[in-house]
Amino acid sequence: MSSIITSPSHAAFERTTTRWGSITLFIGFLIATSVPFYLLFVADANVDFGNILKGFLAVFAVYGVFYIVEPLTYFPILGPAGMYQAFMIGNVSNKLLPSAIVAQDTIGAKPGTRKGEYAATMAICGAAIIHVASMVIFVGILGTWLVALIPAPITLVAKLYILPAILGGVTVQLIASLRQVKSTLIALGLAALVILVLIPLVPVLAPGDVAIVVFLTILITWFTRNKKVTDTRSGGDTVGIN
Amino acid sequence: MHLASGSADYIGLANAPILWILAMAVMGVVVVQSLIYMTAVKKNAESAGMSQREVRTAFRAGGVAAIGPSLSVVLVAIALLPLFGTPPVIVRVGLIGSAATEVASASLAAGTMGANLGDETFTRGVFIVALMAMSLSGAGWMISTLILTPIFKRSTHKLEKVNPALMSIIPGAALLAAFAALTFREIPKSPTHVIAVIVSAVVMSICLFLAKVLKANWLKEWGLGISLLVGLVAAYFAHYAGLGLPEA
Repeated sequence: MSSIITSPSHAAFERTTTRWGSITLFIGFLIATSVPFYLLFVADANVDFGNILKGFLAVFAVYGVFYIVEPLTYFPILGPAGMYQAFMIGNVSNKLLPSAIVAQDTIGAKPGTRKGEYAATMAICGAAIIHVASMVIFVGILGTWLVALIPAPITLVAKLYILPAILGGVTVQLIASLRQVKSTLIALGLAALVILVLIPLVPVLAPGDVAIVVFLTILITWFTRNKKVTDTRSGGDTVGIN
Repeated sequence: MHLASGSADYIGLANAPILWILAMAVMGVVVVQSLIYMTAVKKNAESAGMSQREVRTAFRAGGVAAIGPSLSVVLVAIALLPLFGTPPVIVRVGLIGSAATEVASASLAAGTMGANLGDETFTRGVFIVALMAMSLSGAGWMISTLILTPIFKRSTHKLEKVNPALMSIIPGAALLAAFAALTFREIPKSPTHVIAVIVSAVVMSICLFLAKVLKANWLKEWGLGISLLVGLVAAYFAHYAGLGLPEA
Protein backbone atom coordinates (compact mmCIF):
# COMPACT_ATOMS: atom_id res chain seq x y z
CA MET A 1 0.00 0.00 0.00
CA SER A 2 1.42 3.33 -0.95
CA SER A 3 -0.39 5.52 1.50
CA ILE A 4 1.56 8.39 2.99
CA ILE A 5 3.26 6.85 5.95
CA THR A 6 3.54 8.59 9.23
CA SER A 7 2.45 5.66 11.35
CA PRO A 8 5.00 2.98 12.29
CA SER A 9 5.80 0.76 9.33
CA HIS A 10 8.60 -1.37 7.98
CA ALA A 11 8.51 0.55 4.71
CA ALA A 12 9.32 3.77 6.57
CA PHE A 13 12.20 2.01 8.36
CA GLU A 14 13.59 0.72 5.08
CA ARG A 15 13.29 4.11 3.37
CA THR A 16 15.11 5.95 6.14
CA THR A 17 17.87 3.40 6.57
CA THR A 18 18.48 3.01 2.83
CA ARG A 19 18.63 6.73 2.14
CA TRP A 20 20.65 7.78 5.18
CA GLY A 21 22.65 4.58 5.38
CA SER A 22 24.02 5.06 1.88
CA ILE A 23 24.55 8.81 2.32
CA THR A 24 26.51 8.36 5.56
CA LEU A 25 28.53 5.47 4.11
CA PHE A 26 29.42 7.63 1.11
CA ILE A 27 30.50 10.54 3.32
CA GLY A 28 32.58 8.16 5.44
CA PHE A 29 34.23 6.89 2.27
CA LEU A 30 35.04 10.45 1.10
CA ILE A 31 36.56 11.55 4.40
CA ALA A 32 38.56 8.36 4.92
CA THR A 33 39.97 8.47 1.38
CA SER A 34 40.92 12.14 1.69
CA VAL A 35 43.45 11.30 4.44
CA PRO A 36 46.19 9.80 2.22
CA PHE A 37 45.50 12.34 -0.55
CA TYR A 38 46.07 15.17 1.90
CA LEU A 39 49.38 13.61 2.93
CA LEU A 40 50.34 13.05 -0.70
CA PHE A 41 49.87 16.73 -1.53
CA VAL A 42 51.48 18.30 1.52
CA ALA A 43 54.34 15.88 2.04
CA ASP A 44 57.43 16.40 0.00
CA ALA A 45 57.78 12.67 -0.55
CA ASN A 46 58.86 11.85 -4.07
CA VAL A 47 55.98 9.44 -4.70
CA ASP A 48 54.52 9.05 -8.16
CA PHE A 49 51.33 7.57 -9.52
CA GLY A 50 53.14 4.39 -10.53
CA ASN A 51 54.22 3.69 -6.93
CA ILE A 52 50.67 4.11 -5.71
CA LEU A 53 49.19 1.94 -8.43
CA LYS A 54 51.70 -0.83 -7.76
CA GLY A 55 51.07 -0.65 -4.01
CA PHE A 56 47.32 -0.76 -4.46
CA LEU A 57 47.45 -3.64 -6.96
CA ALA A 58 49.49 -5.70 -4.49
CA VAL A 59 46.75 -5.22 -1.90
CA PHE A 60 43.96 -5.65 -4.44
CA ALA A 61 45.40 -8.99 -5.55
CA VAL A 62 44.88 -10.33 -2.02
CA TYR A 63 41.70 -8.55 -0.92
CA GLY A 64 39.94 -7.61 -4.17
CA VAL A 65 37.79 -10.72 -4.21
CA PHE A 66 36.53 -9.88 -0.69
CA TYR A 67 35.00 -6.60 -1.89
CA ILE A 68 32.40 -8.78 -3.60
CA VAL A 69 32.43 -11.96 -1.48
CA GLU A 70 31.93 -10.29 1.91
CA PRO A 71 28.88 -8.18 0.99
CA LEU A 72 27.46 -11.30 -0.68
CA THR A 73 28.10 -13.45 2.41
CA TYR A 74 26.73 -11.00 4.96
CA PHE A 75 23.74 -9.63 3.08
CA PRO A 76 21.38 -12.51 4.00
CA ILE A 77 22.35 -11.99 7.65
CA LEU A 78 22.44 -8.20 7.89
CA GLY A 79 19.70 -7.16 5.49
CA PRO A 80 19.95 -3.92 3.51
CA ALA A 81 19.91 -1.59 6.55
CA GLY A 82 22.71 -3.42 8.35
CA MET A 83 24.91 -3.49 5.24
CA TYR A 84 25.48 0.27 5.36
CA GLN A 85 26.43 0.05 9.02
CA ALA A 86 28.63 -3.02 8.77
CA PHE A 87 30.66 -1.91 5.77
CA MET A 88 31.24 1.50 7.28
CA ILE A 89 32.37 0.30 10.69
CA GLY A 90 34.09 -2.94 9.69
CA ASN A 91 34.88 -5.55 12.34
CA VAL A 92 31.79 -7.44 11.13
CA SER A 93 32.52 -10.95 12.36
CA ASN A 94 34.39 -10.00 15.55
CA LYS A 95 32.17 -7.20 16.83
CA LEU A 96 28.97 -6.29 14.99
CA LEU A 97 27.46 -9.72 14.31
CA PRO A 98 28.30 -11.01 17.81
CA SER A 99 26.51 -7.94 19.23
CA ALA A 100 23.48 -8.65 17.05
CA ILE A 101 23.42 -12.29 18.15
CA VAL A 102 23.67 -11.38 21.85
CA ALA A 103 20.84 -8.84 21.52
CA GLN A 104 18.56 -11.24 19.65
CA ASP A 105 19.24 -13.91 22.26
CA THR A 106 18.59 -11.47 25.12
CA ILE A 107 15.15 -10.36 23.92
CA GLY A 108 14.31 -13.71 22.31
CA ALA A 109 13.99 -12.52 18.70
CA LYS A 110 14.88 -14.76 15.74
CA PRO A 111 16.94 -13.69 12.74
CA GLY A 112 14.83 -13.35 9.63
CA THR A 113 11.94 -11.76 11.51
CA ARG A 114 11.29 -8.02 11.62
CA LYS A 115 11.81 -8.01 15.35
CA GLY A 116 15.11 -9.81 14.84
CA GLU A 117 16.16 -7.24 12.24
CA TYR A 118 15.29 -4.31 14.52
CA ALA A 119 17.05 -5.93 17.46
CA ALA A 120 20.15 -6.44 15.28
CA THR A 121 20.03 -2.83 14.09
CA MET A 122 19.80 -1.49 17.66
CA ALA A 123 22.58 -3.84 18.76
CA ILE A 124 24.86 -2.68 15.95
CA CYS A 125 24.10 0.94 16.94
CA GLY A 126 25.07 0.10 20.53
CA ALA A 127 28.23 -1.60 19.29
CA ALA A 128 29.00 1.39 17.04
CA ILE A 129 28.76 3.83 19.95
CA ILE A 130 31.08 1.67 22.10
CA HIS A 131 33.41 1.30 19.10
CA VAL A 132 33.63 5.07 18.56
CA ALA A 133 34.01 5.80 22.27
CA SER A 134 36.81 3.26 22.63
CA MET A 135 38.65 4.54 19.55
CA VAL A 136 38.37 8.19 20.59
CA ILE A 137 39.20 7.71 24.29
CA PHE A 138 41.72 4.88 24.32
CA VAL A 139 43.38 5.34 20.93
CA GLY A 140 42.87 9.05 20.22
CA ILE A 141 43.29 10.63 23.63
CA LEU A 142 45.17 8.07 25.74
CA GLY A 143 46.86 6.08 22.98
CA THR A 144 50.34 7.54 22.99
CA TRP A 145 50.42 7.25 26.79
CA LEU A 146 49.07 3.67 26.84
CA VAL A 147 51.48 2.47 24.17
CA ALA A 148 54.34 2.72 26.64
CA LEU A 149 52.31 1.19 29.45
CA ILE A 150 50.90 -2.08 28.11
CA PRO A 151 53.40 -4.97 28.13
CA ALA A 152 54.18 -6.30 24.66
CA PRO A 153 53.36 -9.97 25.50
CA ILE A 154 49.75 -9.00 26.35
CA THR A 155 49.34 -7.02 23.13
CA LEU A 156 50.73 -9.94 21.16
CA VAL A 157 48.30 -12.46 22.69
CA ALA A 158 45.36 -10.10 22.16
CA LYS A 159 46.38 -9.67 18.54
CA LEU A 160 46.88 -13.36 17.79
CA TYR A 161 43.99 -14.94 19.63
CA ILE A 162 41.21 -12.38 19.84
CA LEU A 163 39.28 -13.91 16.96
CA PRO A 164 39.15 -17.54 18.20
CA ALA A 165 38.37 -16.28 21.73
CA ILE A 166 35.34 -14.43 20.37
CA LEU A 167 34.19 -17.05 17.87
CA GLY A 168 33.96 -19.97 20.31
CA GLY A 169 31.57 -18.10 22.59
CA VAL A 170 29.52 -16.44 19.87
CA THR A 171 28.95 -19.67 17.98
CA VAL A 172 27.65 -21.36 21.14
CA GLN A 173 25.33 -18.44 21.91
CA LEU A 174 24.09 -18.42 18.32
CA ILE A 175 23.32 -22.15 18.39
CA ALA A 176 21.57 -21.82 21.77
CA SER A 177 19.58 -18.84 20.58
CA LEU A 178 18.37 -20.27 17.27
CA ARG A 179 17.58 -23.81 18.50
CA GLN A 180 17.57 -25.14 14.95
CA VAL A 181 19.15 -28.52 15.47
CA LYS A 182 19.13 -29.59 11.86
CA SER A 183 20.57 -26.36 10.41
CA THR A 184 23.20 -26.37 13.15
CA LEU A 185 24.34 -29.88 12.29
CA ILE A 186 24.34 -29.11 8.57
CA ALA A 187 26.37 -25.92 9.13
CA LEU A 188 28.91 -27.56 11.43
CA GLY A 189 29.31 -30.60 9.17
CA LEU A 190 29.76 -28.53 6.02
CA ALA A 191 32.14 -26.13 7.77
CA ALA A 192 34.34 -29.01 8.90
CA LEU A 193 34.25 -30.58 5.44
CA VAL A 194 34.94 -27.39 3.48
CA ILE A 195 37.51 -25.77 5.79
CA LEU A 196 39.42 -28.85 6.90
CA VAL A 197 39.19 -31.01 3.76
CA LEU A 198 38.17 -29.08 0.62
CA ILE A 199 40.30 -25.93 1.10
CA PRO A 200 43.57 -27.79 1.79
CA LEU A 201 42.91 -29.83 -1.38
CA VAL A 202 41.90 -26.85 -3.53
CA PRO A 203 43.66 -23.83 -2.01
CA VAL A 204 42.51 -21.38 -4.71
CA LEU A 205 39.04 -21.54 -3.18
CA ALA A 206 40.32 -20.20 0.15
CA PRO A 207 39.08 -16.60 -0.23
CA GLY A 208 35.56 -17.92 -0.77
CA ASP A 209 35.58 -20.52 2.01
CA VAL A 210 32.97 -18.91 4.26
CA ALA A 211 30.79 -18.04 1.27
CA ILE A 212 30.87 -21.66 0.07
CA VAL A 213 29.77 -22.95 3.48
CA VAL A 214 27.02 -20.31 3.71
CA PHE A 215 25.74 -21.08 0.23
CA LEU A 216 25.72 -24.88 0.69
CA THR A 217 24.12 -24.64 4.13
CA ILE A 218 21.32 -22.46 2.80
CA LEU A 219 20.83 -24.82 -0.11
CA ILE A 220 20.70 -28.02 1.95
CA THR A 221 18.59 -26.48 4.71
CA TRP A 222 16.19 -25.21 2.10
CA PHE A 223 15.73 -28.48 0.25
CA THR A 224 15.37 -30.54 3.41
CA ARG A 225 12.97 -28.17 5.15
CA ASN A 226 9.73 -29.39 6.62
CA LYS A 227 7.40 -27.72 4.16
CA LYS A 228 4.35 -28.11 6.36
CA VAL A 229 5.98 -25.95 9.01
CA THR A 230 7.82 -23.36 6.99
CA ASP A 231 5.64 -22.73 3.97
CA THR A 232 2.43 -22.06 5.82
CA ARG A 233 3.46 -19.17 7.99
CA SER A 234 1.16 -16.22 8.14
CA GLY A 235 1.85 -12.66 9.11
CA GLY A 236 5.05 -11.08 10.32
CA ASP A 237 6.54 -13.64 12.63
CA THR A 238 8.45 -16.68 11.61
CA VAL A 239 8.38 -20.24 12.71
CA GLY A 240 11.83 -21.61 13.41
CA ILE A 241 12.47 -24.72 11.43
CA ASN A 242 13.12 -28.01 13.17
CA MET B 1 55.69 -7.33 15.94
CA HIS B 2 58.48 -4.81 16.14
CA LEU B 3 57.55 -1.27 15.48
CA ALA B 4 59.26 1.75 14.08
CA SER B 5 61.44 3.82 16.30
CA GLY B 6 59.58 6.92 17.43
CA SER B 7 61.87 9.12 15.40
CA ALA B 8 60.40 8.30 11.96
CA ASP B 9 60.35 11.61 10.11
CA TYR B 10 56.76 11.36 8.83
CA ILE B 11 55.17 10.95 12.26
CA GLY B 12 54.80 14.70 12.75
CA LEU B 13 53.04 14.87 9.40
CA ALA B 14 50.82 11.90 10.26
CA ASN B 15 49.67 13.71 13.41
CA ALA B 16 48.84 16.98 11.60
CA PRO B 17 45.86 18.87 13.07
CA ILE B 18 43.83 18.57 9.86
CA LEU B 19 44.16 14.78 10.01
CA TRP B 20 42.88 14.84 13.58
CA ILE B 21 39.86 16.79 12.31
CA LEU B 22 39.28 14.24 9.53
CA ALA B 23 39.62 11.33 11.99
CA MET B 24 37.11 12.87 14.38
CA ALA B 25 34.79 13.62 11.43
CA VAL B 26 34.87 9.97 10.42
CA MET B 27 33.94 8.91 13.96
CA GLY B 28 31.25 11.60 13.90
CA VAL B 29 29.74 10.13 10.74
CA VAL B 30 29.49 6.71 12.44
CA VAL B 31 27.69 8.30 15.41
CA VAL B 32 25.31 10.24 13.16
CA GLN B 33 24.48 7.10 11.19
CA SER B 34 23.74 5.21 14.42
CA LEU B 35 21.51 8.02 15.73
CA ILE B 36 19.51 8.04 12.48
CA TYR B 37 19.11 4.25 12.60
CA MET B 38 18.11 4.26 16.26
CA THR B 39 15.43 6.84 15.57
CA ALA B 40 14.17 4.75 12.65
CA VAL B 41 13.90 1.64 14.85
CA LYS B 42 12.24 3.49 17.75
CA LYS B 43 9.65 5.03 15.43
CA ASN B 44 8.77 1.80 13.67
CA ALA B 45 9.35 -0.89 16.32
CA GLU B 46 5.64 -1.12 17.05
CA SER B 47 4.99 -2.42 13.53
CA ALA B 48 7.11 -5.49 14.37
CA GLY B 49 5.50 -6.05 17.75
CA MET B 50 8.58 -4.81 19.55
CA SER B 51 8.20 -2.76 22.72
CA GLN B 52 10.29 0.32 23.48
CA ARG B 53 11.74 -1.59 26.40
CA GLU B 54 12.94 -4.33 24.04
CA VAL B 55 14.41 -1.64 21.78
CA ARG B 56 16.45 -0.27 24.69
CA THR B 57 17.45 -3.76 25.84
CA ALA B 58 18.69 -4.64 22.34
CA PHE B 59 20.75 -1.44 22.23
CA ARG B 60 22.27 -2.10 25.64
CA ALA B 61 22.95 -5.78 24.93
CA GLY B 62 24.71 -4.85 21.67
CA GLY B 63 26.80 -2.23 23.44
CA VAL B 64 27.76 -4.55 26.30
CA ALA B 65 28.67 -7.34 23.88
CA ALA B 66 30.93 -4.94 21.99
CA ILE B 67 33.01 -3.96 25.05
CA GLY B 68 35.35 -6.96 24.97
CA PRO B 69 35.93 -6.94 21.21
CA SER B 70 36.39 -3.14 21.25
CA LEU B 71 39.01 -3.24 23.97
CA SER B 72 40.99 -5.89 22.15
CA VAL B 73 40.81 -3.90 18.90
CA VAL B 74 42.07 -0.92 20.92
CA LEU B 75 45.05 -2.95 22.15
CA VAL B 76 46.06 -3.77 18.60
CA ALA B 77 45.40 -0.23 17.36
CA ILE B 78 47.63 1.20 20.08
CA ALA B 79 50.44 -1.07 18.96
CA LEU B 80 50.18 0.50 15.49
CA LEU B 81 50.42 4.11 16.69
CA PRO B 82 54.22 4.51 16.47
CA LEU B 83 54.09 3.17 12.92
CA PHE B 84 51.24 5.19 11.38
CA GLY B 85 50.43 8.07 13.76
CA THR B 86 47.17 8.47 15.65
CA PRO B 87 44.72 9.94 13.08
CA PRO B 88 45.54 7.39 10.32
CA VAL B 89 45.13 4.54 12.83
CA ILE B 90 41.73 5.85 13.93
CA VAL B 91 40.57 6.20 10.32
CA ARG B 92 41.92 2.84 9.15
CA VAL B 93 41.11 0.64 12.16
CA GLY B 94 38.00 2.65 13.10
CA LEU B 95 36.36 2.18 9.71
CA ILE B 96 35.88 -0.86 7.46
CA GLY B 97 38.65 -3.38 7.83
CA SER B 98 40.32 -4.65 10.92
CA ALA B 99 43.74 -4.22 12.44
CA ALA B 100 44.88 -7.49 10.84
CA THR B 101 43.73 -6.50 7.33
CA GLU B 102 45.33 -3.09 7.59
CA VAL B 103 48.70 -4.39 8.76
CA ALA B 104 48.73 -7.00 6.00
CA SER B 105 47.79 -4.38 3.39
CA ALA B 106 50.44 -1.94 4.58
CA SER B 107 53.09 -4.60 4.48
CA LEU B 108 52.06 -5.74 0.97
CA ALA B 109 52.17 -2.18 -0.35
CA ALA B 110 55.50 -1.45 1.35
CA GLY B 111 56.87 -4.61 -0.25
CA THR B 112 56.28 -3.21 -3.74
CA MET B 113 58.75 -0.45 -2.86
CA GLY B 114 61.25 -2.87 -1.40
CA ALA B 115 60.48 -1.73 2.15
CA ASN B 116 59.45 -3.44 5.38
CA LEU B 117 57.04 -2.30 8.06
CA GLY B 118 58.78 -0.78 11.02
CA ASP B 119 62.42 -0.64 9.97
CA GLU B 120 64.49 2.16 8.43
CA THR B 121 63.29 1.31 4.90
CA PHE B 122 59.80 2.48 5.89
CA THR B 123 60.28 6.09 4.85
CA ARG B 124 57.90 8.98 4.35
CA GLY B 125 57.25 7.96 0.75
CA VAL B 126 56.63 4.32 1.63
CA PHE B 127 54.32 5.42 4.45
CA ILE B 128 52.20 7.45 2.04
CA VAL B 129 52.05 4.68 -0.57
CA ALA B 130 51.08 2.15 2.13
CA LEU B 131 48.40 4.40 3.57
CA MET B 132 47.08 5.15 0.09
CA ALA B 133 46.86 1.44 -0.75
CA MET B 134 45.08 0.69 2.56
CA SER B 135 42.63 3.54 2.00
CA LEU B 136 41.85 2.63 -1.60
CA SER B 137 41.33 -0.98 -0.56
CA GLY B 138 38.95 0.10 2.21
CA ALA B 139 37.17 2.23 -0.37
CA GLY B 140 36.76 -0.92 -2.50
CA TRP B 141 34.58 -2.52 0.19
CA MET B 142 32.54 0.64 0.70
CA ILE B 143 31.90 1.30 -2.99
CA SER B 144 31.00 -2.30 -3.74
CA THR B 145 28.58 -2.27 -0.78
CA LEU B 146 26.96 0.90 -2.12
CA ILE B 147 26.55 -0.70 -5.55
CA LEU B 148 25.62 -4.26 -4.51
CA THR B 149 23.16 -3.62 -1.66
CA PRO B 150 20.36 -2.19 -3.84
CA ILE B 151 20.88 -5.07 -6.31
CA PHE B 152 20.70 -7.72 -3.55
CA LYS B 153 17.65 -5.97 -2.12
CA ARG B 154 15.77 -6.15 -5.41
CA SER B 155 16.59 -9.84 -5.82
CA THR B 156 15.46 -10.73 -2.28
CA HIS B 157 12.17 -8.95 -2.85
CA LYS B 158 11.72 -11.07 -5.98
CA LEU B 159 12.65 -14.25 -4.11
CA GLU B 160 10.25 -13.42 -1.29
CA LYS B 161 7.45 -13.22 -3.82
CA VAL B 162 8.36 -16.65 -5.16
CA ASN B 163 8.35 -18.23 -1.72
CA PRO B 164 7.94 -16.29 1.51
CA ALA B 165 9.48 -19.13 3.53
CA LEU B 166 12.87 -18.30 2.03
CA MET B 167 13.49 -15.32 4.22
CA SER B 168 12.51 -17.26 7.31
CA ILE B 169 15.17 -19.88 6.61
CA ILE B 170 18.05 -18.08 4.95
CA PRO B 171 19.18 -15.61 7.66
CA GLY B 172 19.40 -18.23 10.41
CA ALA B 173 21.09 -20.80 8.20
CA ALA B 174 23.50 -18.18 6.84
CA LEU B 175 24.44 -17.04 10.36
CA LEU B 176 25.05 -20.58 11.56
CA ALA B 177 27.08 -21.38 8.46
CA ALA B 178 29.15 -18.19 8.64
CA PHE B 179 30.09 -18.69 12.29
CA ALA B 180 30.68 -22.40 11.92
CA ALA B 181 33.03 -21.66 9.01
CA LEU B 182 34.79 -18.77 10.74
CA THR B 183 35.32 -20.93 13.83
CA PHE B 184 36.65 -23.93 11.91
CA ARG B 185 39.01 -21.58 10.10
CA GLU B 186 40.80 -20.95 13.42
CA ILE B 187 41.41 -24.63 14.11
CA PRO B 188 44.31 -25.37 11.72
CA LYS B 189 46.22 -22.24 12.82
CA SER B 190 47.80 -23.58 16.05
CA PRO B 191 46.96 -25.61 19.20
CA THR B 192 46.53 -22.32 21.07
CA HIS B 193 43.83 -21.23 18.63
CA VAL B 194 42.00 -24.49 19.31
CA ILE B 195 42.32 -23.91 23.06
CA ALA B 196 40.99 -20.34 22.73
CA VAL B 197 37.97 -21.57 20.73
CA ILE B 198 37.17 -24.42 23.13
CA VAL B 199 37.65 -22.47 26.38
CA SER B 200 35.53 -19.61 25.06
CA ALA B 201 32.81 -22.05 23.93
CA VAL B 202 32.78 -23.89 27.26
CA VAL B 203 32.65 -20.66 29.31
CA MET B 204 29.77 -19.42 27.16
CA SER B 205 27.90 -22.71 27.66
CA ILE B 206 28.29 -22.31 31.43
CA CYS B 207 27.12 -18.67 31.28
CA LEU B 208 24.04 -19.57 29.24
CA PHE B 209 23.25 -22.54 31.48
CA LEU B 210 23.50 -20.36 34.59
CA ALA B 211 21.46 -17.62 32.89
CA LYS B 212 18.68 -20.16 32.39
CA VAL B 213 18.85 -21.87 35.79
CA LEU B 214 19.24 -18.68 37.81
CA LYS B 215 16.99 -16.67 35.48
CA ALA B 216 19.86 -14.19 35.22
CA ASN B 217 19.33 -12.53 31.86
CA TRP B 218 22.33 -10.23 32.34
CA LEU B 219 24.54 -13.29 31.89
CA LYS B 220 23.33 -13.54 28.28
CA GLU B 221 24.52 -9.97 27.72
CA TRP B 222 27.84 -10.31 29.53
CA GLY B 223 28.54 -13.90 28.46
CA LEU B 224 30.56 -12.85 25.41
CA GLY B 225 32.79 -10.50 27.41
CA ILE B 226 33.40 -13.20 30.02
CA SER B 227 34.15 -15.98 27.51
CA LEU B 228 36.39 -13.67 25.50
CA LEU B 229 38.41 -12.76 28.59
CA VAL B 230 38.75 -16.31 29.91
CA GLY B 231 39.54 -17.52 26.37
CA LEU B 232 42.34 -14.96 26.08
CA VAL B 233 43.76 -15.82 29.52
CA ALA B 234 43.85 -19.48 28.49
CA ALA B 235 45.48 -18.49 25.19
CA TYR B 236 48.05 -16.41 27.09
CA PHE B 237 49.20 -19.40 29.13
CA ALA B 238 49.06 -21.78 26.17
CA HIS B 239 50.99 -19.39 23.96
CA TYR B 240 53.78 -18.85 26.45
CA ALA B 241 53.85 -22.59 27.17
CA GLY B 242 55.03 -22.87 23.57
CA LEU B 243 51.79 -24.01 21.89
CA GLY B 244 51.30 -20.91 19.83
CA LEU B 245 52.50 -19.40 16.63
CA PRO B 246 56.24 -18.69 16.64
CA GLU B 247 55.84 -15.01 15.76
CA ALA B 248 53.21 -13.18 13.78
